[in-house]
Amino acid sequence: MGNTIQWETDYATTLKKAQTDKKPILIDFFNPG
Amino acid sequence: MDAVTYPKGEVVEFLNKAVISLRVPSDAKPLSDDFNLKWTPMLVVLDWNGKEHQRTVGFLPPEELIPSVLLGIAKTHFDLDQFGDAIKVLDRILSDYAGSSAAPEAVFLKGVCGYKNTHNPTPLKEAYEKLQATFPASEWTKRALPYRLLP
Repeated sequence: MGNTIQWETDYATTLKKAQTDKKPILIDFFNPG
Repeated sequence: MDAVTYPKGEVVEFLNKAVISLRVPSDAKPLSDDFNLKWTPMLVVLDWNGKEHQRTVGFLPPEELIPSVLLGIAKTHFDLDQFGDAIKVLDRILSDYAGSSAAPEAVFLKGVCGYKNTHNPTPLKEAYEKLQATFPASEWTKRALPYRLLP
C-alpha cells in the first residue's frame, strides 16, 4: 500500500481505473496557494 | 488536509483501498467548472461512471474523513439500488465511527435501505428510535420523525 495516498492527477485516467476496479472515485479540489 | 489528515496512516490505507483518489487544483479547467467549484477543500464522491453522489466543503480531520467518504460510498450504492452493499458500508460507519458526524445520517440511510430492500417499514421505525435514543438533537432525527408513527 505504501505510506502515501496514491493520488491520480488526470480525470480520464482516474475514470478508467475506477471502471476497471469497479471502485468509487474521490476528487479532492484543493487551493494550490 | 495536507498537514493533518492526509499523512495519517489510517487515512492513507483507507483511501488506497476503498477509492480511486484524484487531486485537482481549484484553478484546473474545465473540471472545476464541470463540478461548479466555489470553495476548497471540496471532496466529491463519484461512481465508476463519473456520476456524483456526495460532496463536502471544508476541512475534515482524520476521524471524520473516513466516515464521510464511507457515507459517500454508501450513497453511491444506494443511488444504484445496491441496498445490501449500502447497508454493509453504513454498518461499518456505525461500528467503527459511531461518534462521527456521519453517524446520524448513516442511521437514517440504513433505515431507508432496509425498507427499500424488504418493503417492510420496521427498519424505518428502528432508525427513528435509534436516532432519538442516540442523536436526539440531530437534524436526521427530525427528518425521521414521521417514522415513529409506523406500525
